[in-house]
Amino acid sequence: MAIISCKDLTKVYKNQGQVVQAVDGISFDIEPGEIVGLLGPNGAGKTTTIKCLCRLINPTRGKILIDSRDVVRHSNFAFEKVSAVLEGNRNIYWRMSTKENLRLFAGLQGFSGKVIKEKIYELIDTFGLKEKINTEARFLSRGMQQKLAIACALIKDTDILFLDEPTLGLDVETTIEVRRLIREKISKQGKTILLSSHNMNVVEDVCSRVIIINKGKIVADEKIDRVKEFFKVNAYRFEVEGDINNKIKRDIKNKFLGVKFFDKETKTDIVIEMRDSMKIYEVLEILKCRNIKLLGIQNVEPDFEEIYLKLVKDEK
Amino acid sequence: MRSRNWNLFKTIFIKEWISLKRYPFNTVSGIITVYMVFLLFFLGYKFVGGSQPSFGRTTEGFVVGFFIWTYSISAYSILAWGIIQEARSGTLEQLYMTPLGYERVAIYTVIANFIWSLVWVIPVLVLMMITTGKFLHFDLITLVPLLVFTISSGYGIGFITAGLGLIFKKIQSFFQILQFIFVGFIVAPIDKLPVLKILPFSLGTKLIARNMMDKIPIYKMPPGELLILIVNAVFYTVVGFSVFKLCEKVAKDKGLLGHY
Repeated sequence: MAIISCKDLTKVYKNQGQVVQAVDGISFDIEPGEIVGLLGPNGAGKTTTIKCLCRLINPTRGKILIDSRDVVRHSNFAFEKVSAVLEGNRNIYWRMSTKENLRLFAGLQGFSGKVIKEKIYELIDTFGLKEKINTEARFLSRGMQQKLAIACALIKDTDILFLDEPTLGLDVETTIEVRRLIREKISKQGKTILLSSHNMNVVEDVCSRVIIINKGKIVADEKIDRVKEFFKVNAYRFEVEGDINNKIKRDIKNKFLGVKFFDKETKTDIVIEMRDSMKIYEVLEILKCRNIKLLGIQNVEPDFEEIYLKLVKDEK
Repeated sequence: MRSRNWNLFKTIFIKEWISLKRYPFNTVSGIITVYMVFLLFFLGYKFVGGSQPSFGRTTEGFVVGFFIWTYSISAYSILAWGIIQEARSGTLEQLYMTPLGYERVAIYTVIANFIWSLVWVIPVLVLMMITTGKFLHFDLITLVPLLVFTISSGYGIGFITAGLGLIFKKIQSFFQILQFIFVGFIVAPIDKLPVLKILPFSLGTKLIARNMMDKIPIYKMPPGELLILIVNAVFYTVVGFSVFKLCEKVAKDKGLLGHY
């Protein structure tokens, strides 16, 4: 029996004559204990989907059931089951200390401070916030604020946890730490987690299933181990001097999964998606042989939908 | 369920206290600003030597009027600003996600507000009494219920402003102006024009003045007047909260609850 069931979820924003279809008929079921990643580029509709599930945004159409009950009609029941860390670093009270924030979020769930005391210290320990227990949240680092926000959601002790872009804006070290916390501490508690991210590594590392969305629609809904190839894909932007002739362009196109050229005034940007990051050396080899001067290399976000569709086509 | 409610109330009560404590500048500057405005009016009145002070028939009346004004803008602005501030910062969405319902959060916020407002309403009142040399009568049994019903309308207006603030972003100037419109409500000549009793604060201020100046206890006040006061309070609170709920629906439709 699915603990979260979302059918034909649609959200259309109308603003001064402009119509924006943020979410376009999304349906999925999530079983208890599943950890599902909602993967998509910025603006794909991840946040709107999660906020509809939390009843913070009214859907235009569709039905959402949390533990078999309609979220719109029984929102208070839903909030017994659901806690959420929403996008951004301002889910917590900046003028309150670590401990005060945790107490407040426990209180919002109706827990008394005395009963929850032990749990607060346990979470403070787990999240490495012991030294900052009486520090106001605004004086914490961005990473610590995010850890505190997650701890505040956990203190509510709900079966379901929504994490909207939990690693957005964090440095590499903290990103890894947050991923480890989700994987090793939170998932062990048997919670059902829906995590949204535009970062493939986070989803691959933490989730057992991925829902890829693009432009408000579901592109894929697969178990992680069935789409292992997908997560190996890397994309880089090579900035090179001058124009590139069509022959070389063809050569490069044939060798890699996805290639795009952007001709600029005095240089060319080549965005290459490859199945394996080791293939980066092949690109360098080609550039070297053709005497093309390399100006820079950058890791960029791959086009999830395109890659997924290409990989599916290849399998067939 | 009852103890969960109590826990939620305690949580909101402490939350309001912490925000008062952590923004001491706002509290202190609030006290100073209101006191300066008072001084300006009071000294102006004295110098001109007019027989018609702006806030009622005597200096005492003037102090009572200012006391109610201080309390009303405190109630109104802390509520309205608080909600809008939380929408901006993202914490409002978290408040909405309580299983006990946001309505309860709102009610408890109002109660906490009403009590914590005293932290700066009382100092202003004491300063005013020292400045004028007129010490007013304090009968809490009469004063507390009259204040509750008088200030309620301020919360009603606060909810309307907060609701509009969720949807329309440039509403700040409207906030400021409204605080001065309150003065008009407080000094409304309800003796000459009884229909003005329907305004917020007008009748309540008069009844409170009767108690603080003439020492008339609540049980000796005309029941008809008290009834009008209660109906007035309920009306503004219900209308205010209903408008807020309507705005909340629009905000949820447009996805504005957490996007300032």
